[in-house]
Amino acid sequence: MSIKDIIAAEFRFVYADVFRRKAVLFMFIVYPYMLTAFILLIGYSMGSASVFVERVGIDPAIFFIVAGFTLMAILGVGDDLLWRPLFDEWMGTLPYVLASPVSRIGHYLAIPIPRLIIVLISGSTSVVPVLVCYYGLQGLYEGLAIIIMTGIAALMFVTLVMTIMGIVYGMGGENWRIINVLRPLFLILVGAYYPRYLMPLAGRIASWIIPSSHVIEAIHRMIAGLVGGPIDIFMLLGIATALFILYAPPGVKSIVYWEKSKMKEGVSV
Amino acid sequence: MISETQRVTSDLGIAIEARNLKKIYHTKKRKGLFRSETELVEALRGVSFKVRHGEVVGLLGPNGAGKTTTVKILATLLIPDEGEAFVEGYSVVREAVEVRKRIGLLLTVEKGFYGKLTGRENLEYFGALYGLSGRELRERIDYLMRLLELDKLGAVDKLYEEYSLGMKARLGLARALLKDPPVLLLDEPTLGLDPPSARKIRGLVRELAKQGKAILYTTHNMFEAEIVCDRILLINKGVIVVEGTPQELKAKLPKLRTINILLRNGSPEALKKIVLGAGFKPSVEVTPEGLLQVKVNVQNPEEVLGDLVKAIVGKGYDIVTLRISEPTLEDVFIYFSQAGDQ
Repeated sequence: MSIKDIIAAEFRFVYADVFRRKAVLFMFIVYPYMLTAFILLIGYSMGSASVFVERVGIDPAIFFIVAGFTLMAILGVGDDLLWRPLFDEWMGTLPYVLASPVSRIGHYLAIPIPRLIIVLISGSTSVVPVLVCYYGLQGLYEGLAIIIMTGIAALMFVTLVMTIMGIVYGMGGENWRIINVLRPLFLILVGAYYPRYLMPLAGRIASWIIPSSHVIEAIHRMIAGLVGGPIDIFMLLGIATALFILYAPPGVKSIVYWEKSKMKEGVSV
Repeated sequence: MISETQRVTSDLGIAIEARNLKKIYHTKKRKGLFRSETELVEALRGVSFKVRHGEVVGLLGPNGAGKTTTVKILATLLIPDEGEAFVEGYSVVREAVEVRKRIGLLLTVEKGFYGKLTGRENLEYFGALYGLSGRELRERIDYLMRLLELDKLGAVDKLYEEYSLGMKARLGLARALLKDPPVLLLDEPTLGLDPPSARKIRGLVRELAKQGKAILYTTHNMFEAEIVCDRILLINKGVIVVEGTPQELKAKLPKLRTINILLRNGSPEALKKIVLGAGFKPSVEVTPEGLLQVKVNVQNPEEVLGDLVKAIVGKGYDIVTLRISEPTLEDVFIYFSQAGDQ
């Protein structure tokens, strides 16, 4: 069986879910706008946009619409992987998934791809129109570049999340609840809403070990015009890729560990 | 690598072989806010059996007897603590992927599919996980939908969350048959089903066995076991207490026959005391019609019947009917379960 068939199966699963629950589809489009409006409302009532531009170097409307979009993509990948074993256990599908001869690694690599594609397409309703409003044709190019880089940022997250998933579920019992603690930490440390260069040292170090955070920094540098040259962005993408590769072996081992420990305690029906 | 022993096993037409399977579950029990104790539950205590191609073998036993644990081990979903199991000559522990290619599994009929997907989409999803794709998968799904009459029930393009229990069971069996596996592991496939659905599934299981599939079938239902299974393994407290064809099992009862008396009035407890007092070991139940039913297994019913009737009528009970019958599979089940308990 090929990875193509597994991805096709996941597409079927996610698309049926998303397109039959119109609220989910609606949220894909509305979420970045809602969050931007909410933050700007609070921000303008407490300070001024010029202070924000002075500190961050980007117009707040652009910064937050991009942040909402990138975070939705990255956390979407994280959620798809981190919650899937629990979801399958609740649905009663886990025994049938585990009793299938499919490559477990291939399957878990395929899981986040369909939803990520929907999120990236939804960038044409959030990031692109806002940037076009601000910068015209140049905004269109920047918007497309952000969508591509967001896709890369989200994929770079996969091996780290796989590592965490395997360990958390492999420990068994109620340890999956650790995800509820890790998720908000990722939300901050990935740097989408809170640029890394503004974080305290401990935060910066923690953020540095998340591959996606480097791609997000590259996005921020690009929209802030802080790029000294293309080498800057490529260097950040290089670090992200290196970390992605570094997490791959523990990610694979972690999934195997989870499967083994599940077999030992018995897959619940 | 398949060992020589395993090859021989496979050559002899043995599809499933369990050798001395043992499993202990470690469960944590809360003893306070911060204290917990590990409790050991012996689920299997040395289970061995074989299932040949073309044979339906029933695994019969009360709740907690070890039926589902056995099925899980064979389905590569649980590693035994001791012993070995083989499916078509492949070890369920060391060659799990090969085993997975050869089994069809149905664990519970109530759930096991994605609610927001239709029956067809669910089968397409699991078909892809089982290595099927394209036209082959579509044709197989169409065939199974017809075979299980899901098309007639209008269930093909209906969301799974809108399925009745009967439809869910049929879809579960369709998934088990998706890759046309030589071995089927069916854990209580008719539990809670309406009679037409249960009959459909039982008929299909017999048909599949005729096609040469090896089927391990767990059930509580004696009637079902008798009509579906070629052989029955009676499991109790993790041990197979007796095995054989339904006829062989009945014959294994020590020449017992059953005196079956229906009574009109009185309390079951008082009646039980009276019959015990007369020197018999009865089972007393209240029938759906509100009558009392006393069953006594004895070797010589003609000789003891007078004493039994005298004891009951003497205490003012009205006898409605009285019948002496050959033991049923249920009697076998109760007899050997109690023997296992002792």
